[in-house]
Amino acid sequence: MGKSFIDFNKVNTERLFKNRLLILITTLSLLAILLIIRLYYLQVISYVQYDTLSAANHIKYIQTTPRRGIIYDRNGKVLADNSSLYSIEINLEEVRSIRNVVKAVDLEIGLTNLEIKNFYKKIKKYSHHNSIILKTNLTEIEVAKILSIRYKFDGLDVKGSLLRQYPYKEITHHILGYVGYIDKKDLFSLDKKKYENAKYIGKNGVEKYYENQLYGTPGYKHVEINARGRQLRDIDEKFPVAGEDLYLTIDIELQEFMFSKLSKYVGSSIAINPKNGEVLGMISAPAIDPNNRLWKYDIDEDQIKKLKSPMFNRAINGLYSPGSTIKPIVALDGLYHKTINPLDEVYAGPFFQLPTSSRRFRDWKPKGHGLVDLEKAIVQSCDVYFYMLANNLGIEKIGKFLKYFSFGEKTGIDMPFESSGVVPSNEWKLEHIGHKWTDGDTVITGIGQGYFLSTPLQLAYATSIIANKGKLIVPKLNKNLEIKKEKKIKEKENFLTNEINIEDWDIIREAMFKVVNQNNGTAYWATKNKKNNIAGKTGTVQVYSLSQDTDTREEEDVPKHLKDHSLYIGFAPKDNPEIVIATVIENVGSGSAFAAPISNQIINYYLEKVRGKID
Amino acid sequence: MISKKLFGITDFTLLLFVMIISVFGLVLLYSATNQDIDIVIRQGTKLSFCFVIMLLIGSLDSNKLRLITPYLYTICLLLLVMTLFWGHDTKGAKRWIVFFGFSFQVSEIFKIIIPLTLAWFLSYSDYNEIDLKKLFVSFIIIFLPLVFILKQPDLGTSAIILTCGLITIFLAGIGYIYMCSLLGLFLIVTPLMWKFFLLPYQKVRILTLIDPNTDPLGSGYHIIQSKIAVGSGGFFGKGFLNGTQSQLEFLPERGTDFIFSVFAEEFGFLGVVILLLLYLVIVIRCLHITSRAKNYFSRLVSGSITTIFILLIITNISMTVGLLPVVGVTLPLLSLGGSSLLSIFMAFGIMLSINRRN
Repeated sequence: MGKSFIDFNKVNTERLFKNRLLILITTLSLLAILLIIRLYYLQVISYVQYDTLSAANHIKYIQTTPRRGIIYDRNGKVLADNSSLYSIEINLEEVRSIRNVVKAVDLEIGLTNLEIKNFYKKIKKYSHHNSIILKTNLTEIEVAKILSIRYKFDGLDVKGSLLRQYPYKEITHHILGYVGYIDKKDLFSLDKKKYENAKYIGKNGVEKYYENQLYGTPGYKHVEINARGRQLRDIDEKFPVAGEDLYLTIDIELQEFMFSKLSKYVGSSIAINPKNGEVLGMISAPAIDPNNRLWKYDIDEDQIKKLKSPMFNRAINGLYSPGSTIKPIVALDGLYHKTINPLDEVYAGPFFQLPTSSRRFRDWKPKGHGLVDLEKAIVQSCDVYFYMLANNLGIEKIGKFLKYFSFGEKTGIDMPFESSGVVPSNEWKLEHIGHKWTDGDTVITGIGQGYFLSTPLQLAYATSIIANKGKLIVPKLNKNLEIKKEKKIKEKENFLTNEINIEDWDIIREAMFKVVNQNNGTAYWATKNKKNNIAGKTGTVQVYSLSQDTDTREEEDVPKHLKDHSLYIGFAPKDNPEIVIATVIENVGSGSAFAAPISNQIINYYLEKVRGKID
Repeated sequence: MISKKLFGITDFTLLLFVMIISVFGLVLLYSATNQDIDIVIRQGTKLSFCFVIMLLIGSLDSNKLRLITPYLYTICLLLLVMTLFWGHDTKGAKRWIVFFGFSFQVSEIFKIIIPLTLAWFLSYSDYNEIDLKKLFVSFIIIFLPLVFILKQPDLGTSAIILTCGLITIFLAGIGYIYMCSLLGLFLIVTPLMWKFFLLPYQKVRILTLIDPNTDPLGSGYHIIQSKIAVGSGGFFGKGFLNGTQSQLEFLPERGTDFIFSVFAEEFGFLGVVILLLLYLVIVIRCLHITSRAKNYFSRLVSGSITTIFILLIITNISMTVGLLPVVGVTLPLLSLGGSSLLSIFMAFGIMLSINRRN
């Protein structure tokens, strides 16, 4: 009985066990099926999605920056080049502790306090860059030392890059401008796709104006990276296309000569070939060596403070009263309106007075010039003659005429940030000064003083129009640039060549020739070499007006910053001009004493030493 | 036939498929370790050692096996206590004990020892109804080692061991009234555990399972990268040694917890199906042995081992595809590590031993 009970029990438990096992196995099978469905979903249905994620994990797109185009002068001399150099870069995204990395680098190769200070400044200023340069221009030993500790620090790397170099340093500073670190302001205007990996961009001058051409087309690389971000191998690569080279109209020999003449002054000088508008040389002094600026990234503030605003390009931004250099154009205006007869002689005393006012407009010559005709008035720069002429013409006629010579608007040279100067009028004065125009204002405009302001480039351009007898050829720096004449320029040219008598052009050009070549001309004594038939006009602009009657101080006693600006315009040879020049030197004295001799030396140097090599 | 039985080779098919998967595991490990042949050789050595252990256990009579079970339990419990005092510290948990240069995770063995001991205890008397007293003793058998494992702390392994024990009790025919009360108790205890017992990192692990993207670089990273590896494998896989997720080290714990992700990435859905079919052959052989088991002890042990084997596979794969939290369950026969290998080969040794009597 007991045995059968046990047997029954055994059968019973066996069945129970099998039931239970069945329950478990069924449950697990269902789970297994669920799992297979899940795997099918991941691997077959969502494959594309996960494959994309996987690729994004291990494939990195790196843009490769193109080599920047080289800038040459008109004869193929290199003005801006790239040199390769090694820099320590710290990747801000990968680095764990910037402080530790800097400390380690300092320990290994030694950093100056300034370098460390600048680095932290850069991190703040250029936080939009992936990596920041800690030290650049490394020696081979320094490179090796950093490479040996690189593995210890994520984000520390030594990278080879191309650095812009300007072999002529400050001599070409204002023409070329410079390239600099891309800053937050640049981000607004640049094509972010194209500059993804770029560090530098043209900031000023030709480097900025021709940025697109010089930059080139970036290439790219797909590299395989591992989980720690190390690059393992290149998957594919498209090489960048180097930027286009740029040939300038500048003749570096002339530019060097001009710089040597002007470097000790503050001022500007521009030489243009009037036949085609090519700028042969353009100086703004003082200037700095942009190479230094690049290597240190930040401006060496002290160096800049020592000089008188060296970052300011006086050639296109400096606004000066043109002074007596404007007299030939005012004279031409008088001839055009028949306000004057060139042969009529007028008595010019020591001063001019308006009938309604007691104010005396004095001549630079205390005793006056006596009887003067138009030619004499230009040759000797008689102020009183032009006071009267301006008064007879009125500001409207003068202003309109000045605009034919492109005063008051940009010349259109291929440089960024050009200023347009001021040709004043009644409306202009009301708007900007808040007072009505007076006859006195007109009188001094006749000798290029007062509200009338021009850049040295505008003076050079106007001079080239005189040299071309009314033809307008826009100045340019890119030798291969073809400027199409705008309608506005054609209209001016039509007026100047058709409405103005050729004899009138000859009268003022002859007068300008005599300024240099007749022994009573204001530039006669300043010009030793008269072989090249230079025509010119001096200008002396008062910065501080010695009180008309009471101040008896001599010029030499006036403090330096209140001394007159010295100006000069010129072209040569008179009958077939190949060069025009405009020079402004700040706070030195008269035009005859400084700007004229320098300018004429430059003209002679060009015509005798340089020109033969061109063409 | 007799000579085969002497060496423990009582089921040739089972043995063959276990070896196919294990040896393939070494090949896969070569890929998962970035072609580190040294690790593969070490694992191969362990594999050979475990193979011998399996055959030794397989050559035992299942009655003798039953007799040594309480001693095995006691020895392992002592080792567990030793681990707590002289254990090897990794990532803040003391789980390892070092033997002759080989580190050993005792808790892994309990996945097999607990069912074995429970089967021993429950089949002690012929009267097989499970009463409260038996249930109480069963839970003491389970919780004695569990306390030490929780103390290490190792929540994942504890949960697995508890499940293994429950499976045996379930198979032993526990009444549904007890089952319901246990379930009720579980529902009450779990929230209390969450509040008072779980460590913050354990909570995070469970939470990131629900939404791995909340912490893509921290705890969620494992799950995200594993899913990318599995999913990007596609139907045919990226090819052996060509898995970018594993070769470029985006996938963490490639040799151990996430060996399946390496496999799925390189061999695709097709490979996954084949692997699961290979496992299925083993499961079918185990079920066959279980169905032929002659006594209560053998039935319970082989039934438990079969179920646990399936459960471990499902748990590990669910982990890698983001269906379960990363609880540190290895994939049987494929994952790197001697302890899990030893416990799984011991299990198959027991199956072979039980098969002797059939």
